[in-house]
Amino acid sequence: MSGSRPQPTDARPQDLPVKAELPRLRVEYVKDSRLAFLGHLDLIATVERCIRRARLPFSVGNGFARRVRIQFTSALPVGASSSCEYFDLRLTEPVDAQEALCALRAATPAALRPVRAAYVPGRLPALEAWLDRSSWELLAQGAGFDAARIARGVELVRERGELTYLRGEKEKRVDVASTLVGFEARDAEGGVALSVETRLAGCALRPQVLLDAAADAVGLPRAAALRVRRVRQGHEESGRLVEPFGPFCEKDGTPLS
Amino acid sequence: MRARRENLFHLLEPLLGRVEHPARYLDHEWGAVQDQEGPFHLCMVYADVYEVGQPNLGVAILYNQVNAQEGMSCERCYLPWKDMASLMRESGVPLLSLEGAAPLASFDAVGFTLAHELIATNVLETLDLAGIALTSAERDEDDPIVLAGGPSAWNCEPLAPVFDAVLLGDGEESIVEVCACIRDARAEGVPRAELLRRLAAVPGTYVPSLYEARVDEGSTRWGYAVPRPGETAPEVVRKRCVNDFAATDAVAQRIVPYMGIVQDRLSLEVLRGCARGCRFCQAGMTYRPVRERPADQVVSGGVEGLLASGHNEISLTSLSTTDHSQCEEILRRMNVELEGRGIRVSIPSQRLDSFGVDMAAAVAGGKRGGLTFAPEAGSQRLRDVINKNVTEEDLESAARNAFEAGWRRMKLYFMMGLPTETDEDVVGIARMAERVLEIGREVVGRGPKSGVSVSISVAVLVPKAFTPFQWCGQLGPDEVRRRQQLLLHEIRDRAIRVSYHDADVSLVEGALSKMGRAGFALVRRAWELGCSFDAWTSEFRFDLWVRAARECGLDLADVACEEFPLSARLPWDHTSPGVSKGFLQREWLRAVEGVTTPDCTRTSCTGCGVCPALGVHNVIQGVRS
Repeated sequence: MSGSRPQPTDARPQDLPVKAELPRLRVEYVKDSRLAFLGHLDLIATVERCIRRARLPFSVGNGFARRVRIQFTSALPVGASSSCEYFDLRLTEPVDAQEALCALRAATPAALRPVRAAYVPGRLPALEAWLDRSSWELLAQGAGFDAARIARGVELVRERGELTYLRGEKEKRVDVASTLVGFEARDAEGGVALSVETRLAGCALRPQVLLDAAADAVGLPRAAALRVRRVRQGHEESGRLVEPFGPFCEKDGTPLS
Repeated sequence: MRARRENLFHLLEPLLGRVEHPARYLDHEWGAVQDQEGPFHLCMVYADVYEVGQPNLGVAILYNQVNAQEGMSCERCYLPWKDMASLMRESGVPLLSLEGAAPLASFDAVGFTLAHELIATNVLETLDLAGIALTSAERDEDDPIVLAGGPSAWNCEPLAPVFDAVLLGDGEESIVEVCACIRDARAEGVPRAELLRRLAAVPGTYVPSLYEARVDEGSTRWGYAVPRPGETAPEVVRKRCVNDFAATDAVAQRIVPYMGIVQDRLSLEVLRGCARGCRFCQAGMTYRPVRERPADQVVSGGVEGLLASGHNEISLTSLSTTDHSQCEEILRRMNVELEGRGIRVSIPSQRLDSFGVDMAAAVAGGKRGGLTFAPEAGSQRLRDVINKNVTEEDLESAARNAFEAGWRRMKLYFMMGLPTETDEDVVGIARMAERVLEIGREVVGRGPKSGVSVSISVAVLVPKAFTPFQWCGQLGPDEVRRRQQLLLHEIRDRAIRVSYHDADVSLVEGALSKMGRAGFALVRRAWELGCSFDAWTSEFRFDLWVRAARECGLDLADVACEEFPLSARLPWDHTSPGVSKGFLQREWLRAVEGVTTPDCTRTSCTGCGVCPALGVHNVIQGVRS
């Protein structure tokens, strides 16, 4: 088979590196245009196929299904686009990050294009839990929508402290006090533009759910048209925000200020 | 009048946030042919949702063939799920193709794949959503030419009024010829009726409107089709057959879906046709002769396909993969090539003997999921009737080998309602399952932690056209239920799980398999009453089918269970897969006597008639064991 073999198959099990020692390549990518409607599980399968097509020396897990070792950030709601999604890929051997990025770009649909890649410390916590802060931008249109009323609605929701909604047949409870970090509404061309800052703490606060609850709170109908985009993710540590690519301490891998 | 060709995705996009699984409608998958310049445009339709239709190999083969032609383009279309269909109707959005998001009604030709009989109402739903007239007779001069093909085209008479032309047999070559014929006729400004006559002259192309159904004392109540007076269409349309199978692309699937689909893996067709001669099997009769792809092509094509697609599983598909004379070599070489890449090789069906188990072990590596065998009948007598050439000893030794090789879960497929079946044969299914379970316990141990279990799945025989059982009536639904209860009653061990097909679904399938052209009234009425997605358990509405049948003066059980005289002219006699009627009659008589017929790829010719009729022959790469 052409291309480099991705797995050190001739080594004895005890000689193989443990997972944390494998090079951990972090890739930033976008999710936009029609692929905003791709669900999270479908996204995971798609990215795995892109990695295989890119012929990177990916590491494979030892489970029954022999999956590529990848970690993803928290799921985007179906229909939401993003300029800042991430996955961490474990490789069996280091590859130049820029070469890996080029190979990935060539093997990935444009609407999921990778934009940046760099190695991060192997022992960082799982990506989904580590990237616990998100910034969102929304553009909402609806009868009676204006920035002041929506802002009032959000304040009412925040005062209640908790928000419940149905997802399918399941009732979800969101602790608004701890998950909603910041909010700003302004009138814009084509509707109301909103900036929402959320924190991952228990059940995730989805921006659309917040907007719907805000509209309900002030007696407005739900938004007739809505665009949601995640524009920034980060890790919150001791009150400061760490960027996904660090910097990190070379010695122990902890984020540097 | 033909709809204008334009990209209407902007009309669909606002609906995406309001439906389940919007990924069904996204297109732009890796490998999809986005450059659809034409000027000739074909749209291949699988009339079910994306995740069911996208894995279809037939659509993939024809898509590649047409797109490879200069000046021809081929797009795909699947039937939207009910939520989207309803929103589209509400918003006035017509059915669109995937690649160009162009109205289906704007294409030069629209080709349906008839994968099974229960897709019939979905074909009408597709046309209606597209704004294309449901029948050939109702279409305007410039409307798309509606084509069909696929396994269920072997009795397409209940849908014959829908199609302008039906392509019989292998479509690789004929789809291009048919498209060229349409293109040239359109360029010359030939009237639609004349265009259809030209299509009838393309070998393997059946044009239903050029035929009429006649009922006489020599036919069944559905009659038989003959060319209309004055028409020169062939009295019998023979299928097309690709003899040089190795000259076709090993990997037809180039499109990598975004969403999870029902067979979410790369498929590679390792051989076409099967000569084992199971008498219930329509595919076994209609896909002859047997043509194996060389091992080198399978291995290199598979590896190249995996690299290009990024799939983590490859399925070596065919009607009987372990019959490939180089099966062992293929699996060994693929395992070497793919080692360490986290890629699984799978084969869809295991031969019921030790070799089958060895091959299953070869693809499973160290993993042991479940293993599936298909004895089909519970007694040796009945297995001889259906020409399933396996013995009790074959099954027992295969089961023993499998348990010894580490498998713990065994699945066995059976059929109910086979000709000459008695209660003793039904009870035999239970005994066979118990015997397999007992073998498992002997090998693995009897403790509750041994994990040994057997599940049996029992389908209802639906007699199909061009099989030796085509003259049989289907077992009535009440009797099916009684025998299912008998089987359940006979299963006493909790480690044996039983599942069986719904008798009502099988009844509708049986009626659709049996009817002639007049059966279209039933299909149309069922669709008008709201039937669609009949193959989905959740959507199947037997009450509506019963009502539709009543309104058409029919009784479903009466239709499905009717026996045809062996000498009768049948509704599908004007089409031919090459297997002679005489062979099928002989096979029926041998079935009744319990006499088996060997596989011509292992012995000598058994006289099915395919090779001389079509000028073809079996192509076996090595020696079959």
